[in-house]
Amino acid sequence: MSKAKTQQPAVIHKVIMVGSGGVGKSALTLQFMYEEFVEDYEPTKADSYRKKVVLDGEEVQIDILDTAGQEDYAAIRDNYFRSGEGFLCVFSITEQESFQATSEFREQILRVKNDDNIPFLLVGNKADLEEKRQVTAEEAQHRAQQWNVPYVETSAKTNANVDKVFYDLMREIRSRKMDASKQNNGKKIKKKDSKRKKCTIL
Amino acid sequence: MPAQEEPPGPLQPTTHVNPLGLMEDDKPVLPGVNVRAATPERLVHLCVTSFGENGDIKDEGEFPNVLFLMHKWFMTSVELAEAFLDLYQSSDETVVCPKPSCSHLPSQRQCELQIYKAKICYAVRYWICKFPVHFDLDGKLSAVIKQFGSLVQREGNSSFKELIDLSKVPSYDWMRSISVRNPSMRHNRKVSLVFNHLEPDELADHLTFLEFKAFRRINFTDFKNYAMTASLKDNPKLERSIALFNGLSQWIQCMVLSKTTPQQRADVIVKFVNVAKKLRLQQNFNTLMAVVGGLTHSALARLAKTTTCIPGETQKTLMEYTELLSSNNNFSNYRKVFHQCVGFKIPILGVHLKDLILLHTALPDKVEGNLINFRKMAQLFLILRELTKLQAHDSIPGLFANMDLINTLRLSLDMHYTEDEIYELSLAREPRNSLSSPSTPTKLVVFAEWVAGISPPDPNTINKHVHDMVEAVFKNYDGDRDGFISHAEFEAIAGNFPFIDSFCVLDADQDGMISKAEMKTYFIRANCHALRSSFKHDFHEITYFKPTFCIHCTGLLWGLIKQGWKCKDCGINAHKHCKDLVVMECRSKANASCNRRLDSVSSNGSGSQDLSYSTKRKMSQRQKRSRVHRGTQTEESYFLPPAQSEMNGEYGEYYEGLHERLLKAEESQTSHEEVQLVIS
Repeated sequence: MSKAKTQQPAVIHKVIMVGSGGVGKSALTLQFMYEEFVEDYEPTKADSYRKKVVLDGEEVQIDILDTAGQEDYAAIRDNYFRSGEGFLCVFSITEQESFQATSEFREQILRVKNDDNIPFLLVGNKADLEEKRQVTAEEAQHRAQQWNVPYVETSAKTNANVDKVFYDLMREIRSRKMDASKQNNGKKIKKKDSKRKKCTIL
Repeated sequence: MPAQEEPPGPLQPTTHVNPLGLMEDDKPVLPGVNVRAATPERLVHLCVTSFGENGDIKDEGEFPNVLFLMHKWFMTSVELAEAFLDLYQSSDETVVCPKPSCSHLPSQRQCELQIYKAKICYAVRYWICKFPVHFDLDGKLSAVIKQFGSLVQREGNSSFKELIDLSKVPSYDWMRSISVRNPSMRHNRKVSLVFNHLEPDELADHLTFLEFKAFRRINFTDFKNYAMTASLKDNPKLERSIALFNGLSQWIQCMVLSKTTPQQRADVIVKFVNVAKKLRLQQNFNTLMAVVGGLTHSALARLAKTTTCIPGETQKTLMEYTELLSSNNNFSNYRKVFHQCVGFKIPILGVHLKDLILLHTALPDKVEGNLINFRKMAQLFLILRELTKLQAHDSIPGLFANMDLINTLRLSLDMHYTEDEIYELSLAREPRNSLSSPSTPTKLVVFAEWVAGISPPDPNTINKHVHDMVEAVFKNYDGDRDGFISHAEFEAIAGNFPFIDSFCVLDADQDGMISKAEMKTYFIRANCHALRSSFKHDFHEITYFKPTFCIHCTGLLWGLIKQGWKCKDCGINAHKHCKDLVVMECRSKANASCNRRLDSVSSNGSGSQDLSYSTKRKMSQRQKRSRVHRGTQTEESYFLPPAQSEMNGEYGEYYEGLHERLLKAEESQTSHEEVQLVIS
């Protein structure tokens, strides 16, 4: 509902960073938001994690919810996930446990969103630390295929693929939104129906 | 978007590197503190010059506070103390007193050198007085300060020596033995320990008490370690606080889901919303977050029938709080309100932990080679100053806490469930609408031990909590002090612990009364299985040779072969379409794991022949005793799992007895539940 109102300034795509503690979610977020210019970074501002970007010629806003520091608050993770339109599920290629944990996040996200096709990228971070690699690209790729999502390796340190994961995810979110609005225009009665269903879930 | 409108430029153009190892800041984080980065020596010098000749901080500057509170993020306290010592020693050369007639000896009060030295001592004194805990816990630091003291003494500056004398500092034991003692608590106002009789305000008071106790224990090092490692390993105080948060949120979900009808569930929700109202008044945002998080969790939010029973007013309040605590715009609603609140308040710890982590990630500790990033220090300071200030409240205004209730609640919140278990339970209470796609994964294969580092409390903690709780219960409910409480009273208390067995399981001798020992055994055991993995049945398709009935719908399992599904662990039977709806937990699995624990404790093994004999004997006894309940197949559930057959001694007898009664109790329970589910 609020989306319709914000249509005029710029569409907002809401991205959530999930993954275990210490995999570099914040580093990715900051790298994308500020690149190297983080001297005056202020973590408490309302727009600290919102940025205007040009996505395929169209100006949009990205709003990143970084769940850093709240990984252990398992009980409210669910509430955070609800507001997300797309997810970057991050693990560290140097830490097997963080890779294991991704399935938990995936399950929880699917349950909360009740949508198997929610925009979602599996992200293997710390790709610059090849010598410490514990998770092979093949096994990560395999899991991504099972989930039918893309797998990308990134490095917040060298800035490799950082923009790519955010832009790829935004594209998916955008195409999902377009599909949704097409469907809504096509069948107005259905729309009402689905809306009602949503309300009961919320 | 400010980050774009005025991109914070690279270092050089906006800052000036001073040859003395100092970079100045155009946009100071704190008023009057315009250091961007400096060497440790320079920082110590700046700190000293913040003091006036009389020993007070000039213009109430924040610089010394930032340095003393935050230095441990960047260096050890020993390093800082040594920097002061070095500064003192080198000042003979670096500080030149312009007065020609001055002998520069300690007796010369007007000597610039002596004034500077005095300021160094004032700075160190300030550190000792404001942060005694640094000295208290750090023997090496005290040694450096003593060394400093003897140097001053040798110079003959006895008045300076007194300034930095650790023994002159009053004892700060109170800093360590911090406990929330409230005078009103000793009155021990009579309260109910039973959830159903508890007033929401009382519940909120006691939750705030527990929250504050956990919050104020977390110290600087705990915050720092978490921000740096993002791990709770070796961080028990923070872990405890987070466990309390998760425990409360899950307890709320379970308390709601333990009710069988939508109206009953709605009533519990209304009660917790009223608890939330009180928490908001108390400005306890962390507990408020846990409560609202629990109430709006998808396991509860999806309960459509329950939602229709919640009054509009309550829904509105809940919505309001959800907005208040929402993560939207970087928690801007919460930040605004929190900032406006004065006096006692408890922050949403997770939000501030996030700020610390992001600051730490965003800004380097050192810039331009070896300069300490003071700007980072100041930004971290703003967060930690707030947290430590809030921890320093020594009582919670207007709070009445009853230790008996505290002990009861604490144990209730220790119960550990997984997200999946709770969600399954939610699905069982109000199954998914048949219209919604059944393809969504409801069956989760893996039950993660993961829950991100939070493990259930260790057995010792549980035992202690059980002990405290049982003592509290007996103090309040054993009116005649005969060491027993009645069935009804026990049942009421047990209501605080959703999904544990009913009373008859516990009352081993079935005399209708319950002793302390029985109750302790019961809760320790209950805790070890709680809902944990015991809710899951291991159903397999099976062919029955006798008429058998479904545990869920009570209908006959029709057909010639493969009529139904049986749980391998507890032996219950169900239709294919009913098996996912079974509300009863899988008891024997839990029992078995409990028994395994007992085995490891009482390993005074005896001959296995005896065992098999006694087991067989018991089994035949049971078969004789047990009246046929639901279909003859139930008998099969009495076959003991392998671990159990190794059991011996009185525990074995006891637990087998338990198991049997438990099944009986369960039957009456489930049939009761079924009726209510049908009504709903």
